[in-house]
Amino acid sequence: MAASAARGAMALRTNIGRPVAFVRKIPWTAASGELREHFAQFGHVRKCTVPFDKETGFHKGMGWIHFSSEEELHNALQQENHIIDGVKLHVQPQKPKALQGDQTSDEEKDF
Amino acid sequence: MAALLRPARWLLRAAAAPYLPLSLRLLAGGPGRPHAALCLRAARARPVAGGLLSQARLHSIAAEKKNYLQEEPTSSHRRNASQFDWALMRLDNSVRRTGRIPKTLLQKVFDNTCHSGSAGGNQALLLLRSCGSLLPELKLSERTEFAHKIWDELQKLGTVYDVSHYNALLKVYLQNDHKFSPTDFLAKMEKGNIQPNRVTYQRLIAAYCNMGDIEGASTILGFMKTKDLPVTEAVFSALVTGHARSGDMENAENILTVMKEAGIEPGPDTYLALLNAYAEKGDIDHVKQTLEKVEKSDLYLMDRDLLQIILSFSKAGYPQYVPEILEKITYERRYIPDTMNLILLLVTEKLEDTALQILLACPISRESSQNDFGSFFLRHCVTMNTPAEKLKDYCKKLKEAQLHTSPLQFTLQCALVAQKLDLAKVLMKALKEEGFPIRTHYFWPLLVGHQKEKNVQGIVEVLKGMHEIGVTPDQETYVNYVFPCFDSIKSVRAVLQENGCPHDDNVFSQAELRSKAVNGNLDYILSFLESNTLPFSFSSLRGSLILGFRRSMNINLWSKITELLYKDGRYCQEPPGPTEAVGYFLYNLIDSMSDSEVQAKEEHLRQYFHQLKEMNVKIPENIYRGIRNLLDSYHVPELIKDVNILVEREKTDSRKPSSSDLESKLEKLKAENQPIGDILKQLILMLCSEENMQKALELKAKYESDMVVGGYAALINLCCRHDNAEDALNLKREFDRLDSSAVLDTGKYVRLVKVLGKHGKLQDAINILKEMKEKDVLVKDATVLSFFHILNGAALRGETETVKQLHEAIVTLGLAKPSTTLSSPLVTLYLEKDDLPAALESTIDCYEKYKILPRIHDVLCKLIEKGETELIQKAMDFVSQEQGEMTMLYDLFFAFLQTGNYKEAKKIIETPGIRARPTRLQWFCDRCIANNQVETLEKLVEMTQKLFECDRDQLYYSLLKLYTKKQNIVFDNETYARLINLLLMKDNSTQAMQVKDFAETHIKGFTLNDAANSLLIITQVRRDYLKDALTTLKTALDLDQIPSRLAVTRLIQACALKGDTESIHDIQKLVNGLEDSIGLSRMVFINNIALAQIKNNNIDVAIESIENMLTSENQTVDPQYFGLAYLFRKVIEGQLEPALEKISIMAERLANQFAVYKPVTDLFLQLVDSGKVDDARALLQRCGAIAEQMPILLVFCIRNSQRPGKAPVMKSLLELIPELIDKEEAYTCLMKSYVFDNDVTSAKALYESLTAKNVKLNDLFLKRYAVLLKNAGESVPFTEPPESFEFYAKQLKESKETHL
Repeated sequence: MAASAARGAMALRTNIGRPVAFVRKIPWTAASGELREHFAQFGHVRKCTVPFDKETGFHKGMGWIHFSSEEELHNALQQENHIIDGVKLHVQPQKPKALQGDQTSDEEKDF
Repeated sequence: MAALLRPARWLLRAAAAPYLPLSLRLLAGGPGRPHAALCLRAARARPVAGGLLSQARLHSIAAEKKNYLQEEPTSSHRRNASQFDWALMRLDNSVRRTGRIPKTLLQKVFDNTCHSGSAGGNQALLLLRSCGSLLPELKLSERTEFAHKIWDELQKLGTVYDVSHYNALLKVYLQNDHKFSPTDFLAKMEKGNIQPNRVTYQRLIAAYCNMGDIEGASTILGFMKTKDLPVTEAVFSALVTGHARSGDMENAENILTVMKEAGIEPGPDTYLALLNAYAEKGDIDHVKQTLEKVEKSDLYLMDRDLLQIILSFSKAGYPQYVPEILEKITYERRYIPDTMNLILLLVTEKLEDTALQILLACPISRESSQNDFGSFFLRHCVTMNTPAEKLKDYCKKLKEAQLHTSPLQFTLQCALVAQKLDLAKVLMKALKEEGFPIRTHYFWPLLVGHQKEKNVQGIVEVLKGMHEIGVTPDQETYVNYVFPCFDSIKSVRAVLQENGCPHDDNVFSQAELRSKAVNGNLDYILSFLESNTLPFSFSSLRGSLILGFRRSMNINLWSKITELLYKDGRYCQEPPGPTEAVGYFLYNLIDSMSDSEVQAKEEHLRQYFHQLKEMNVKIPENIYRGIRNLLDSYHVPELIKDVNILVEREKTDSRKPSSSDLESKLEKLKAENQPIGDILKQLILMLCSEENMQKALELKAKYESDMVVGGYAALINLCCRHDNAEDALNLKREFDRLDSSAVLDTGKYVRLVKVLGKHGKLQDAINILKEMKEKDVLVKDATVLSFFHILNGAALRGETETVKQLHEAIVTLGLAKPSTTLSSPLVTLYLEKDDLPAALESTIDCYEKYKILPRIHDVLCKLIEKGETELIQKAMDFVSQEQGEMTMLYDLFFAFLQTGNYKEAKKIIETPGIRARPTRLQWFCDRCIANNQVETLEKLVEMTQKLFECDRDQLYYSLLKLYTKKQNIVFDNETYARLINLLLMKDNSTQAMQVKDFAETHIKGFTLNDAANSLLIITQVRRDYLKDALTTLKTALDLDQIPSRLAVTRLIQACALKGDTESIHDIQKLVNGLEDSIGLSRMVFINNIALAQIKNNNIDVAIESIENMLTSENQTVDPQYFGLAYLFRKVIEGQLEPALEKISIMAERLANQFAVYKPVTDLFLQLVDSGKVDDARALLQRCGAIAEQMPILLVFCIRNSQRPGKAPVMKSLLELIPELIDKEEAYTCLMKSYVFDNDVTSAKALYESLTAKNVKLNDLFLKRYAVLLKNAGESVPFTEPPESFEFYAKQLKESKETHL
């Protein structure tokens, strides 16, 4: 039980203090490459995931863009329209799910 | 539900016609002459073959049977009823939204019905009725087949059919143009002992007529005559069709005369039958003539009737006349769904060109490029195998007509979903020609299909197709979609070569590498990396390599691979270079593991780090810090020092003095005989942070006399980290000698206990625990958790004595209370050794000592797995006896669920008398979530469906949490809607939106209900997604939903604050006609439009329009109710001074010139309310009539007296308008306000001025005042009325009523 509690905490920890944009309504024609290309204009995209459903071969219309800094994320969120393949994306910040005491953001910031 | 049950709206037309007298007059008639009778007009249900019968007409018959649920008085009544509701809701939703039912949905409802084991009569009726024109996407013959399948299957389940079922089947036959023998049908009914009724005969006549068999129809009419059954318009209409189809148009037309003679005026149905008859003959002239005739009469044809004529023309091979009929369409509100269904039907009938013609004529707004129209058509064309070239042409036309922005892409998507490779290739080529890129992932859906069937040839075909289009498969394509289809990668290579499938060897090899890595084949990885000639980036392999490492615990291979990647120029050439790359890799490796995994593999990891050290692999310091934090949070700080040795020292900050600098400084001071305490401590701390234990210990030995408490503390901790129990203990003793009252911090004590325990120094460990107690060291939750980890670690190592003694000490000393967590290692000890009797014994022992049952669930699961019946019995007896039967049942239920014994679990949870225990259910849900047990949780949700008092929402919420965590589970419409609603209520809109997106991707035409949409609007407004909120409102209204007043008002207000006049106007148009249903006052719009205009600096426009409304001849709102308080308040709050000034002028003008006093009074009151008393006074002086607006003023008083904090406002108002005090309502409110805010002074003043005026005060007033005084500790100058508030309130109310 304690182990699973700690595991839960680990899952929560992953996104804290990391500038991530959550993107919805991605057209089926675009994949992570296209997203990465589009969002590169706002800053350095550390990681870009658009999970594909192995059952259908299509993705689920959503993805996550990990930027290097809050500022870059902010730049991306500032822009009103994000259009890929003629389709308007919905972009919003990925909210940190919880805060954990013993981790400080400055220690994680470098990578 | 309503759409299926309620007689459809257009039935009103029939109902509106005067009912004809129920006399029965038979007409004499020869063959071909109908027997007619007058009758009550029935619903316009007309049997037109293959017809485009509206669904509501079809299902309206359901309304004939109102005694739906009473009809099954069996014990399964309730279940059947709810099942029926559910099925009905699913189908009804679809029908209401689209006028059709997708085949998959009907199939699903049918399957569910079969699965449930029984179907009531109504459910059967519903399913049968769905098999006709509601399935435009299915060929006519397939629909009938479906109906027959349902008929047979349900009969097998024991459904009893009555005449309504036979009639429904007949109707399906008629709608599907199914050829059958009416006499055989009658025989079948007879065999089933079912008496045909009027409807049966009527439909049989229609069946004969559809075949052009007048003689047959006449026979049936004869039957009806002998049975004295009335002949309806429907029969006449059928006869029109019958004559026409027998080639006798003259007699077809004559029917209308016969009808009139019989006293029945031909209605729209009859005319439509005639029109269809002409259309089938391609006789456009007669069609036009008849249409004109109808137009001139008081009858009228609806769009769907015209669509029917179009269908008749098209099916008969006269598409050239379609445009002429299309022109006559008036575009009623429901036109689009009907048209869509016609289009689908035409495509099914292979008349797709006509379908396109109708599609292009649809009145769709072409401006908003957002909404594509025609997707349903393209999708269905793909399903029906419309030739590729035709589809390409359709796409072009749709795009030219600006109906669809990306028809080719959409069609391609459909082709991919349907796994149609050839069509997909044509479409991709077309896209390519238009300059669109063709991406690798376009081929994945095609590969998925073959992968499921392990169809190698299919895979090869797709790969060849890729080559043809000019797309090279990438690593992901191979790893995820190609390799899984083959037994080995070797065979993939062979098959590709055999079939001449070109592939990039480099990509292929790397894909192979990734695939091997994921499977933990580290030998292969190493030899590949060694022999590989093409450089690639380490990071591309990182994810797969981590998975591989975790699968194969061969540390030597781990190190060798890491070393190679670190040192070899082929892999870490790119910046930021090998140190970063490997550091990041290590971080990710540990991050990907769970805490228990790291704990279990602690030794392996240590070995790995040391091997890396020997190989001279280094990592940057910042990454080391990240790893350190990770290890700390995993409760394995002992590994920190082992990672520390990898830190790249050369690059550490050169501005900081190094340890050797400090050391030489220390020696210098010592030589000079200066005090060295400070610098010694500094040096020790630095060595500790560098994890240099040996050096630090040497230094301590050398300068022992200069050591301080802080230095010892750091050293003790360092030794603990390095697992050096001996030195740690010695240091602790020296520390005590130095200062016996000194206290370490909690973490260091805990680490000492851990190290000492681990090294068998049990008594020393217990002494440390004792010291903690004596020195009253702070024990936090985290400390207790650390205790657990110490005990658990020992339990996993099988150290029975350590676990028992330390646990005993912790509990007896009172450092922590025994709990299921803390005490669980006592049981874990034996579970790990598979000693189940001892494990159970230990659990029971804990209960006897501490009244807790640690790990009972795990013990039970193991007992069940091993089939230890006797021990299970023992455990259950114990639990039952100690904690009651209910607890025992839950324990057993969870254990069965967990071990996959669902049948047994189900039996338990269905035990009579068992009821929901929310905390226990939640515990199990959380467990499933933590361990990603989707199936188990789903089973729990399923099995608890009938559990008494079970909070379904909470269970669904848990399911949702797990589902969002896993991100790959698909629910049905209902579950999604429920979850979204729940999330919105829990105010978790981000997650709600995520789920909605999932739902929309997975369920065609996913919708939310009224309440959820309203909540969604409110949430979107709150989060400032106004455009989304507006879209939601539109969607809801399109579905004929009534959104809540609050939702609409919030949206309007938010738009106003943004100055978005346009959106408010849009909303006004959208809700036009629904204002009363929503409960929306016109004033909401007037206030907010004005506010929006003001926000846009259009103050004059706003003022002018308000003035016009109040002064024009035809006022829409009575000036007395023209409340602008909201507008005024917002203007005052927003400090919009120029606007306020102009509004003030307007209000005064309205008062002075038009005697409209409501605005000026409202303004005055708002000024008072916002504390602008001087402005209010000035206004009052300019416009004295305000003081005479008693009703408005009193309403203001009453409203304010119901809110706290309004006493100052009320006081100001009374000062401004002293004559208010003469009104009973007013002074009552004043007192109420003063009491609310405990304003004794004002209350006193009020009381005195009232008594001075000799006002007779009522008891309620006196009671209030008395209580206020008493609470303030003051004496009451009169006898306090003795009864309660309620008593006097009631008394007052009654006395007022008698006065009236």
